[in-house]
Amino acid sequence: MVKRSLFIFLILVIGVSACISIEKADPKKGTHPITSTTKIRLPMGYIPSVQFAPFYVALDKGYYKDESLDIEFDYSFETDAVTLVGHQDLPFAVVSGEQVLLARAQGLPVVYVMTYYKDYPVVLVSKSDKQISKPNDLIGKRVGVPMLSGASYIGLRAMLSATGIKENQISLETIGYNQVESLALDKQEVVVCYINNEPVQMESQGYKVNSLRVSDYVLLVSTGLITNELTLMKNPDLVRRMVKATLRGIRSTIEDPKEAFEISKKYVDNLANANPQQEKDQKEILKVTLDLWRSDPMGKTNPKAWENMQNVLLDMGMLMKKLDVGKAYSNEFLK
Amino acid sequence: MEANIGISRIAQRVHSLHNAITPKDIFSNLKKVLRKISRYRLILLLFSMILTIVVWEGLVFLFNLPPFILPSPLLVFQRFGQVILDGSLFTHIFITLGEILLGLFFGVLTATILGYFLSRSMIIEQIIGPYIVASQAIPTIAIAPLLIIWFGPGIFSKILICALTVFFPILINTIVGLRSVPTKLYDLMNSLQATRWQIFRYLEVPSSLPVFLGGLRVGATLSVIGAVVGEFVGADRGLGFLINVARGQYDTALVFVAVFVLVGMALALYGVVAWSETFFLSWQQKKS
Repeated sequence: MVKRSLFIFLILVIGVSACISIEKADPKKGTHPITSTTKIRLPMGYIPSVQFAPFYVALDKGYYKDESLDIEFDYSFETDAVTLVGHQDLPFAVVSGEQVLLARAQGLPVVYVMTYYKDYPVVLVSKSDKQISKPNDLIGKRVGVPMLSGASYIGLRAMLSATGIKENQISLETIGYNQVESLALDKQEVVVCYINNEPVQMESQGYKVNSLRVSDYVLLVSTGLITNELTLMKNPDLVRRMVKATLRGIRSTIEDPKEAFEISKKYVDNLANANPQQEKDQKEILKVTLDLWRSDPMGKTNPKAWENMQNVLLDMGMLMKKLDVGKAYSNEFLK
Repeated sequence: MEANIGISRIAQRVHSLHNAITPKDIFSNLKKVLRKISRYRLILLLFSMILTIVVWEGLVFLFNLPPFILPSPLLVFQRFGQVILDGSLFTHIFITLGEILLGLFFGVLTATILGYFLSRSMIIEQIIGPYIVASQAIPTIAIAPLLIIWFGPGIFSKILICALTVFFPILINTIVGLRSVPTKLYDLMNSLQATRWQIFRYLEVPSSLPVFLGGLRVGATLSVIGAVVGEFVGADRGLGFLINVARGQYDTALVFVAVFVLVGMALALYGVVAWSETFFLSWQQKKS
């Protein structure tokens, strides 16, 4: 009995000693100082795509880690992301600019802190043989829009308003997210879409297209990074770090798009296994998106764009009254 | 002797109790209780609705929930009033109701006709059956965009999506209902030299009607889902479209308004089918 107890005691001592030595042997724990990293779930508002290459680059190259941020990408709907940020369930999200004003009108205290796309990415695309090269050519044409809300419809209305065309002068139809198919089958003469997506797909299918960019006719707030007023008030340093790391990711992507594309393969499903044509299309999407990232100064938002956006939303009846747009954005975290 | 008398009395008491309260008595008393409850059904329903509203309001107040997360019942009611007064809600209700009724009509018609032929032939059922079952495994939300590409963004594609949603439960219930007709009754009809039409009219239809109407109850409520799915994917009017717009504007109160109207529609359709059962199956109730 005594021998058995001694034997068990010895086993326990050896076991505990072994655990302690394994702890000490871990170089990460033994020698490096303990840093507190902030875990952040970041809704992107769209599916995984090369359009988010700067975020992937920033994560892969350790820019977020340098700022003690641990980023996890989330691909839920844009409106859900805005609600979660507004309710302080999440600190940040990547959303289109008009969402900020629409959300603030409903009491969600979200604030835009960094521009991601310098231009509003909505375009009106038509087959080149239709010879629709200026806004007046849209009159009388069948125009397909995904739905009567969201960035695409707002962009269309903004462009029509800026060029003096009334909505009843075009034949507008909601077509869901079937722009490429609708245009290819000539069900629509013009479709409203994003410059760095559908036009590339159309040209990949062999169709020559004309694009009318909304940003050529009216300055609007585009896609950017948002946070909420509570985070701004209680943790402005977190916002500064997030913006800093993301801007570094954008700069790196512009400097070396090839590397950015290779990094994106780790984060975008099926990109690593894409066939040559698909890879070519995705590289083209990245190339088109580079123009949207090139801004000077990078990340800064234009107050005029906010005023224009508010006017468009008021005109559409999506806002019932004017807001204090100055509270909807901040450029102070770009320094 | 006294013990024997005691036992005898106990036995008598048990025997009298047994005679006084039979299972039949318990059942008939339960029926009386339930009948009393049904008289106060409306009051109970109103009470439960008021309780729900009170709890809902309490949750909003206790947890200080903002309207974009959970609007209060009062806010939803106010929003309801606004869209009623400006007339927009009626437009959307009319569109969705039209899609539901047409989708239900065509879905029931095709399912009933196909169900009849499938019930008559095992071979046809074995050939076509797997395709029908497989088609039901495809989520409607996945196929809806394709239907809009193929058939256009107009009302036809919404009616088609609605009809497809309704189709399967009606089909299965039609087949089951027709196959449940006892063979003896077919023999009886044949012995009376009934024509094919008479067998259909006087035997198959009344026999299969209870099961068919059971399927129609399910189909009627599913038709609401089908119409809304179609509108979610691509529409410029309707309650599904209204939900999309309300979500896009963070107007959660309006989302609730649209959802409650859809619930009301589903309940009304269910009620119409349930009422039609009392009418078409009155012979069944009289017999029982």
